[in-house]
Amino acid sequence: MNYIKEKTPPVREDRLKACNAFGGSCCELSRTGKKGCLNKTKRTFAQTQGCQLNLSMSILNTIRDSVVIIHGPIGCGGAGLSFGALTTQYHKLRDSNAKGYIWINTNLDEGDVINGGEQKLKEAIIFADNEFRPSSIIIVNSCVPALIGDDIDGVVAGLQQQTAAKLVPVHCEGFKTKIMASAYDSAYHGILRNLLDKPEENGYLNGYLIEDELEVLKEKYRRSRNVNVLNVSSMSRADELELERLLKALELNVRFLPCFAHPDDFEPATEAALNISICATHDDYFVKHLKEKYNIPYILHTIPIGIRNTGKWLLDIAEFFGETDRAKGLIEAETKALNKALEPFRNQLKGKRVLLSGGEIRILTTAELFQDIGFEVLGVRGYHYDEFADPLIDGLPGKENILFNVATGQPFEQANLLEELKPDLYVGHAGINGWAAKQGIPVFPIFVQSLNYMGYSGMYELTKRVTKVLKNTQFSKNLKNNIKLPYKAEWYGKNPFSYIDSSLAL
Amino acid sequence: MSTIIDRPRYLCSLGGAISTLSALPGVISIIHAAAGCGSNLANAHNGAAGYAGSGYCSGLALPSTNVYENEIIFGGEERLKEQIEKTLEVVEGELYFVLTGCMVEMIGDDVRSVASHFKTRGDPVYAINTGGFKGNSFRGYDLVLQALFRDYVEKHGEKDEKLVNLWGVVPVQDVFWKGNLKVLKGLVSKLGYRVNTFFGEGETLSDLKDSSRAVLNIVVSDTFGIEAAKVFEEVHNVPYINVPFPIGDYGTGFFMNEVGRALGIDEAFTDIVIKAEKKRYYGYIERLADIYSDIDLQRYAVVVGDSNYAQALSRYLSDDIGWLPELVIITDDNLSAADRTLILTRFENYASGIKPKVIFNTHTSGVLKEVNYHCTPGNGERYYNSFSPAFILGSSFERDAADRISAGHLSVTYPVCNRVVLDRAYAGYDGALRLTEDIFGVLVASR
Repeated sequence: MNYIKEKTPPVREDRLKACNAFGGSCCELSRTGKKGCLNKTKRTFAQTQGCQLNLSMSILNTIRDSVVIIHGPIGCGGAGLSFGALTTQYHKLRDSNAKGYIWINTNLDEGDVINGGEQKLKEAIIFADNEFRPSSIIIVNSCVPALIGDDIDGVVAGLQQQTAAKLVPVHCEGFKTKIMASAYDSAYHGILRNLLDKPEENGYLNGYLIEDELEVLKEKYRRSRNVNVLNVSSMSRADELELERLLKALELNVRFLPCFAHPDDFEPATEAALNISICATHDDYFVKHLKEKYNIPYILHTIPIGIRNTGKWLLDIAEFFGETDRAKGLIEAETKALNKALEPFRNQLKGKRVLLSGGEIRILTTAELFQDIGFEVLGVRGYHYDEFADPLIDGLPGKENILFNVATGQPFEQANLLEELKPDLYVGHAGINGWAAKQGIPVFPIFVQSLNYMGYSGMYELTKRVTKVLKNTQFSKNLKNNIKLPYKAEWYGKNPFSYIDSSLAL
Repeated sequence: MSTIIDRPRYLCSLGGAISTLSALPGVISIIHAAAGCGSNLANAHNGAAGYAGSGYCSGLALPSTNVYENEIIFGGEERLKEQIEKTLEVVEGELYFVLTGCMVEMIGDDVRSVASHFKTRGDPVYAINTGGFKGNSFRGYDLVLQALFRDYVEKHGEKDEKLVNLWGVVPVQDVFWKGNLKVLKGLVSKLGYRVNTFFGEGETLSDLKDSSRAVLNIVVSDTFGIEAAKVFEEVHNVPYINVPFPIGDYGTGFFMNEVGRALGIDEAFTDIVIKAEKKRYYGYIERLADIYSDIDLQRYAVVVGDSNYAQALSRYLSDDIGWLPELVIITDDNLSAADRTLILTRFENYASGIKPKVIFNTHTSGVLKEVNYHCTPGNGERYYNSFSPAFILGSSFERDAADRISAGHLSVTYPVCNRVVLDRAYAGYDGALRLTEDIFGVLVASR
């Protein structure tokens, strides 16, 4: 893969034949989806969803010591109002002196739509550089300047010599794609092009003058055990600590990227022996380019959620380093201790029914975790579907009977499904959980940035919390009895996928 | 012309319009916009307004055409027709409003004619051009009101001599809007009038529809909803007054007198009402006499907020509880020179004699800067007169500035992320009691 010379990355409809509208069984999805047939499905009734710009912020607003310029009308990036303070706290978990998430909006108005917004962008870049003295200034391009043809890269090229900060343009206009996850490619594209230029080999090794051959060997050995773990902003610091604990047991040195990293952390990251993704949806574009450009191998199979996938993740890594036996020993010991701790919970949870909703990688692995602790998985709702889901679907026990609804949000389809399935628990993505609660279904979120979900400790924490949630379900019951959802009664009698139009599917 | 803004405290006109309509009972917004608009704005609507939630059909349930490249190239009217048709099938509502985002404005989709196609058919579908680049949330609020007054409110020749309308308190941007409207309605009711607030508790669409029977429109703002008041006057021949948003004894007394005067109410009667309210108010404030005096709970204060809140908070701090609001930062964008002049008059003639320094600065980084200009730090002297003890009344953004100057802090103005707000009000006498509880609650929190 090599799109780095392009100003913008391709969208995922094109690159991965991803789709975001489907309803049927897991098997049917895999069968039709594998051929890329679902690429052009759409909805005739739709509810709002995130765009590339919204989602790219999930990486970009975590980059420390940076300012994000949202080049667009005043509302773009407004979501920062709600999570800015929280993001700042997460910055501080990594660096207590961190300034936190700062963003500037170029406030394009009707005049700018006619005359162009480049002048305001220049002004914003200079303001950001002078006012905050950040290491990098990330320029996020929205729909309006894209349509009026502002030359973002031209402005950046013209100003880079004048600013102390590294300028990182990111092209993530919302209207370009219906696959929100294209955002990750846009964000990584900006990072790859602007924060990752490897310095010339010049007799220095990682900044240290080479003194003798032994030092060189030591340094080379150290590097041979360096790994980058590509984190996601939906994971917690506790998740990172758990993964680091497991990888340290294999004597690996861990660096977390890209979320909550400093702009200067990216360049040395090119010296790692291995890139370890925890989510293919998030990272495939990045790791494939790092392979192409710096010849760094990568692992992209699964997310370390639940016993089986955590084990698989560890074994993949261990195999690369020739540490399979050690990893097997670790997994065995961890699994044994965890299973013992989970026993009382498994008894309580046996036979409960669950529906899960969120990103494709996360829902499929979390579904397996829920099966492991005794739940029957009725269905999963994925934000989108692409080839990375296939191996996870293949490995999911009982997949023949598990429903798969591909939908970015679309709570109306979910309402119809919940009305019919009436699960004991709903596990979903932030933003849509409340709708399930209003239907009387107890909810557990599929991620919380302050909770541990990953690795062995995460599975215990999740199980413990889910058991807690089911101990008192009055909150959702009261909502159901007193609140009405906005859908007409007839809607619940219809097929939940009535508004998915497959006429353009191949 | 608008300028770049460091961490703006509002959204675009589309955002303001969505929030405003979501506060009207039974109204469904259908946004004709790119996919991310609704979701992004919903995040700010919920998480930055004291957890206002997704409402009846907002948040991720907001019907949206989610236009992509294809519609941008070939036009989005067909997609909009389809979306309206299907929304009428799926979503239960009394009124449906099409709101536009930037992209469809730029390609020139004629949403009004699409909406009128449905209206002619008998479906209650309206359209408002709210493209985000038209302005901020406050403008979105005004655009929605203008559209409602022009297209929805029915014309009535006959007036109802005891009916008034009241607005200017912007849903969501005023995080306490619902509680505030309830209090303001209660106050004007005490003068013997029935009051439509459109967005408050128990308001109905039919009251809105018949609101042209009112004899007066009371805009509780110097800046928000004024254009809409002009439209109302032009279309329905109802005059308006604008009065500053009131908090506490002095602010509310002024409000009652202004409203009373405009309605031709006998001053003696208004006085009786005010006296009764004050008696109740100071009956509670009296309780603070001990602790306030025992441990000196007077504070220097900085007020940060929109033009509605800034003057109201500052007046309350100075004249009701005897604080020293020396610095006020007004964060509104794009105010005209006339607006600024009017706003500045609201900081004059304080009973306390305090003259706050009032600054217009929209940048969030500007707040700490202004505070630093205002309070010169010590210069190595043994004694210096610091800006302490201090308190910042502003938004969640100001927590950082408050920490830096070791000041107390309460989030009152948008964004409010560190509090949950349901029906709490800060307006009027009742609201000032809540505000007093909350402010002094911060000061005794560690005891």
